[in-house]
Amino acid sequence: MSSDSTETRRAKRLLNWYPKAWRERYGGEFVDHLEQEFVDNPTDFRRSLNIAVKGMVARMGDFGFSRTPLSTEGQTRAALATSFALMALSSILVVNFWSRAMLNWSARTYHPIPVSVTTGILSVVAAVMMLVLMAILLIVVVSVVRQFLRRRGRTLVGPLILALGSGALILYALRRLPGMLVSYSHMFQGGFRWTHPGPAMYGLAYIANSSVQWWVALWNPGVSGAPTLFVVVNNLVPLAALVFGLAIATLLRRVELPAFVERTTRATVMLLGMLTGVAVVTHVAWLAFGGPSDFPTFGFEGRTAGVIYIAFLAVVSVLIVRTQRALRGSNEITVTM
Amino acid sequence: MATNQDALIGLGRNAAAAVLVLSSLAGGDKHGYALVKDVEEFAGVHLPPGTLYQLLARLEARGLITALQADERRRPYRLTAQGATVLADYIAAQQRILKTGQARLKRSWSLA
Repeated sequence: MSSDSTETRRAKRLLNWYPKAWRERYGGEFVDHLEQEFVDNPTDFRRSLNIAVKGMVARMGDFGFSRTPLSTEGQTRAALATSFALMALSSILVVNFWSRAMLNWSARTYHPIPVSVTTGILSVVAAVMMLVLMAILLIVVVSVVRQFLRRRGRTLVGPLILALGSGALILYALRRLPGMLVSYSHMFQGGFRWTHPGPAMYGLAYIANSSVQWWVALWNPGVSGAPTLFVVVNNLVPLAALVFGLAIATLLRRVELPAFVERTTRATVMLLGMLTGVAVVTHVAWLAFGGPSDFPTFGFEGRTAGVIYIAFLAVVSVLIVRTQRALRGSNEITVTM
Repeated sequence: MATNQDALIGLGRNAAAAVLVLSSLAGGDKHGYALVKDVEEFAGVHLPPGTLYQLLARLEARGLITALQADERRRPYRLTAQGATVLADYIAAQQRILKTGQARLKRSWSLA
């Protein structure tokens, strides 16, 4: 049975609007402050609303979307972690958009310059994005293993289980990938030739599209007769990607990272934000320049879902840029002190 | 290079409330509730608790105020030398604006 007074319990309930780190730093004095305010004015809806709004702002800061005064290192990790989680989900769409553009480009004999340029930009963006995500993932994996070897990995167990579980589902959904690579190996005959990259790029786009198209076409397989288990697993992949992204993001915030990561985080987050923004603009330009003239605009999922996906990517790029700006502000604070 | 003015401008919509907090602490160390009461007294403005603690956190992060050792749960805050400079610069700038506005109102409108 708690010995707290009614006012203290009320104050502590309101404190729950704030993130944990904030509560640890300001919680005691904030509760004391509220108890005194309750004596002056027992009920005040505007006061409660003010606390709720500012608490949410503090939580946004905890995710790296706004400046948090708690620590520069915390801000750095929050920005990188949030950007990674957002990108993990977005990368499915970007790869899908790229594969569709590349298949459409390859299916034509006449290549207008705008379509070629936008397809080329999408190819570079998708490739760089996947490389950056893979590099971050590799750093996290190495750091986690090193921390477990040092017997300091206890706090990593929870997010690690989530990452392994969701990662296993994604790998299960991709189980046909090696088979596809073998089946379509004729597309790669002669290897990748820089002077004639077409066949290999087409093959890569075909395989990528065969995998991710099922992930973006939620509950609408587009091809009749697909086994229910196949549809269910593929529909769960976006959720698994989100869980995987969040789990890796949590690990990024908890694991002991190499020193160079903090030095390069600002540039990395800016790069991720720019890549997403360029992917959105280029895909819209690709659609405008005649990409969909002889191809369904948004494939199986339909026009509405396609527009929602593009809007989602636009929001993601804005959010990532916001984390980068908050990070810049946080660094400026450190410099001016 | 950030200037003293930037330290307040960076607070956006909360810059005006930040000046109230800094002005209150210029009169001596205070904890949150005492600060609210002081601001109410000299400015007639009530700072809601969410806004106050958001400001305290940001001002502390910018080095304009510093948190002192907590007395049980109450933690007093103190204006730093940098905070005093920022406040003095802000007040000087506002006084220049005030004088210009008053002079122009007097000359053109015979007011003020």
